[in-house]
Amino acid sequence: MSFELTDEQALTREAVRQFADTAVAPLAAEIDRDHRAPLENLPAMAELGLFGMIVPEDLGGSGAGSLSYIIAVEELARRCATHAVIVEAHSSLCCWPILTYGSPQQRQAYLPDLAAGAKIGAFALTEPAAGTDAASLTTSAKREGDQWVLNGQKVFITNGGFADVFVVLARTDPEAPSAKGISAFIVEGQSAGLTVGDPERKLGIRGSSTTPLIFSDLRLPSDALLGQEGQGFGIAMSTLDGGRTGIAAQALGIAQGAYEAAVAYAQERVQFGKPIARLQAIQWMIADMATDLEAGRLLCYQAADREERGLDFAVQASMAKLFCAQMAVRVASTAIQVLGGIGYTESYPVERAYRDAKITEIYEGTNEVQRLVIAKSQLR
Amino acid sequence: MTVSYVLAAGQAQVGDLVQAARLVSDQVVALVVGPEAVAQRVAQAGLDQTLWLGEPGPLALEAFAPALAEIVRARPGHIWATRRPADRVLLGAAAAAIEAALVVGPTEVTAQDGLTLVTAPVNGGLALSTVAFTGPVALLMDGGAAPDGPAGAVQPVSGPTASIQLVESQPSVGQTVDLTAATRVVGIGGGLKAASDLPLIEDLAQALGAAVGCSRPVAEGLGWLPKDRYIGLSGAHIAPQLYIAVAISGQLQHMAGCRQADTIVAINTDPAAPIMAQADYVLAGDLYQLAPALTRALAG
Amino acid sequence: MTIAVIYKWAPDAQEASVDTAGRVDFSRAKAQISDYDAVAIQVGRQLADATGQGLVGLTVSGPAGGQPAATKAALARGLDSVLVLADDGLDRLGPSAAASLLAGLVGQLDEVGLVLAGDSSIDVGARMTPALLAGQLGWACLTDVERLDGSASQWSAQRTQPWGVETLSLTGPAVVALSPTAAPLKAPGMKDILAAGKKPVRLVGLAELGLTEPAAGQLKATAHLTGPSRQGVVIDVSDPDAAAQALVAALGQAGLLIEGRA
Repeated sequence: MSFELTDEQALTREAVRQFADTAVAPLAAEIDRDHRAPLENLPAMAELGLFGMIVPEDLGGSGAGSLSYIIAVEELARRCATHAVIVEAHSSLCCWPILTYGSPQQRQAYLPDLAAGAKIGAFALTEPAAGTDAASLTTSAKREGDQWVLNGQKVFITNGGFADVFVVLARTDPEAPSAKGISAFIVEGQSAGLTVGDPERKLGIRGSSTTPLIFSDLRLPSDALLGQEGQGFGIAMSTLDGGRTGIAAQALGIAQGAYEAAVAYAQERVQFGKPIARLQAIQWMIADMATDLEAGRLLCYQAADREERGLDFAVQASMAKLFCAQMAVRVASTAIQVLGGIGYTESYPVERAYRDAKITEIYEGTNEVQRLVIAKSQLR
Repeated sequence: MTVSYVLAAGQAQVGDLVQAARLVSDQVVALVVGPEAVAQRVAQAGLDQTLWLGEPGPLALEAFAPALAEIVRARPGHIWATRRPADRVLLGAAAAAIEAALVVGPTEVTAQDGLTLVTAPVNGGLALSTVAFTGPVALLMDGGAAPDGPAGAVQPVSGPTASIQLVESQPSVGQTVDLTAATRVVGIGGGLKAASDLPLIEDLAQALGAAVGCSRPVAEGLGWLPKDRYIGLSGAHIAPQLYIAVAISGQLQHMAGCRQADTIVAINTDPAAPIMAQADYVLAGDLYQLAPALTRALAG
Repeated sequence: MTIAVIYKWAPDAQEASVDTAGRVDFSRAKAQISDYDAVAIQVGRQLADATGQGLVGLTVSGPAGGQPAATKAALARGLDSVLVLADDGLDRLGPSAAASLLAGLVGQLDEVGLVLAGDSSIDVGARMTPALLAGQLGWACLTDVERLDGSASQWSAQRTQPWGVETLSLTGPAVVALSPTAAPLKAPGMKDILAAGKKPVRLVGLAELGLTEPAAGQLKATAHLTGPSRQGVVIDVSDPDAAAQALVAALGQAGLLIEGRA
């Protein structure tokens, strides 16, 4: 059982860390304050290959493997949770289902551009009345001749404001039992009939473009169907299964960044004549955070490693997301506590980490959903 | 009879090198590359011999490396040079010719029982070490103007040259500044948020009668100031009476260039920045308030 | 025809620790390919692609420099292959010793007309290895080069000196040390990282090259390096104007503000 990273994984961490420190960190506070997406960084991220990590080489990606991919997400999140989720939603929620369920034509038509970052991807499942109860979605896709006509709306779509390719879930068979009547489609961003609404103003990941989508008689060619008719719910669920390690990695990175800020501060801040790092209360907080991080990292890397090796990984991924999300909220909160009053201000990034961490307990499958998945696996 | 060679290329000032060489060698010979006027100036520095490699013509100074190597190979001895680009190349060729060990920035060189003892900083300034050498040593150090002495004879010599031509030299627009000659220097570092904020520092420097220098990232990374303003290990080594370091963290690499200042004032928002522990006056505050305040206080 | 780039697998001197007796300990510092070497490799890559030549990395180090972690880190920067002299006792060599061993490595290559180098190493920082290497090889040498063009054995170099911008022409073979601004620094991308593992690595030892470790001087003493001792007077900055006045008063009293004082 080797816990060592390969040279490639170590080099990936270093390269993304260097990018995060020099190009991401300087923007993080500003995009949070202005609720704006860091579009200016997308070309550099594309050049590094961050948008093609899970796409095989023959389709224009680097085929870097799941572990290198989540290390990249973690390193981005350490400096900015928004940059991390842009890459994660694009890769896990858009590239992956097209790669896994797409026809050769669809893969060829979309993946090279997505892998190169020339096009950005997104995933549209959630609706105002269908969140965790995704199977109750009502966006409809009706067959009209050799076209599909989409009507309905989606909400909270990550990358919505600038994505070029959307994987959209819609109901194709109103008669069938709810989960079985859903199909997946590939929708292009500039389509007539697609309106992208204004981005939400949120507690955290404020730079992430989170938008509603409105489909109004949006016409799609028949080859826009992804996978089989009626297979959509299964595609959505397996896509979210895979996305779990990505969000776990984002949570891990958020926590790591907050932790490092707390350790650095504790070593400089002098009270009662010495750095607060010499006080036992602070030392215990640091010890708990460090242990939490180590545990989360191992869960997260184990899930990614199993995925890379072709083993069953859904339960481990669920455990990783459940644990890391809660851990990130815990660690970010403790980090603010270590900094005290100044940690509550915008002078340090820990308050942003605290706000960013919360969403990881909710999106791509809430804590509660993860618990159901884990319990089900234990009580078979 | 032991010999030391002092290399001088172009405008190199070699006074300190000649002085140091005198302490360890019986004979000090200058090897000069550049126009005749350079050789004549060097010849006043109190040398036993000044050998001049001739008018360079279209050749770059580095082209004379093989000729120097030949001279030194014929009669090995210590070799001394300053840190300027051409001088480093010439030193490299001469040192390689006689397998001399290289020492950078020696603080003390003495001869003892047939050995040469050299004390110098290691790793860019982490610590000092004293090493004993049995053979010839190549020494790279900061030069200094030589006191005007009697004019010595300039002896032309020649030797093989490499094929390096200076095709064109376009003089730089604007003043070049010799930071090493300034009595007072204000240095600006990475804490400055934008190039458009530089006037804050220029105003302070003007009020102080100081030259403006900077840390390496400001010159090389950001390009906000020309390269000749960068104070550090591989940039300008300054020893002014007063050095005010504004928003400079004080990394080893920078301190190596300003450590010898008589008085150092540090202005930095981070009270734990390395420079704060190496300054005579410590102001742990924001340059955007303190620099203008200082400018006002100096004018008033 | 091949272009060679010398690089160093060494830690940053900033990360070493020094004890009160002046002994330097690099054990906790992590070795890396420095940004200076990365720039040199990038310039080499551009030249190699423009002139249809191969690009080989050369390095001398202790055993760690021959490990995959090190060779892949170098290859990921854009080299086609590396030739590594790794042997005990070759860690953190001084420039003279490094140059004579590197000259031995250059001798192992066929048809090399250009050797590129970065501005300096990050552990020693002497900026002399390229000049010494050129001396060992008997080749022409230029340093601080900001721009290099040309092919085969005819090169054009540009650099900025205090007096202006120089353009030089150089007939090879040559060693050229590049300024840190000679190319914009790019982090290796995912494809470069993954391709690195497939590129050739040639590992050699001293005995195989018929070389011996160059003799060094004998270390007699170490000491802590301190500049002049500093007063460390802290001036309260809660009122910037009061702080400025206090500083000006102190400097004035020390005679540092007298105009025209030599």
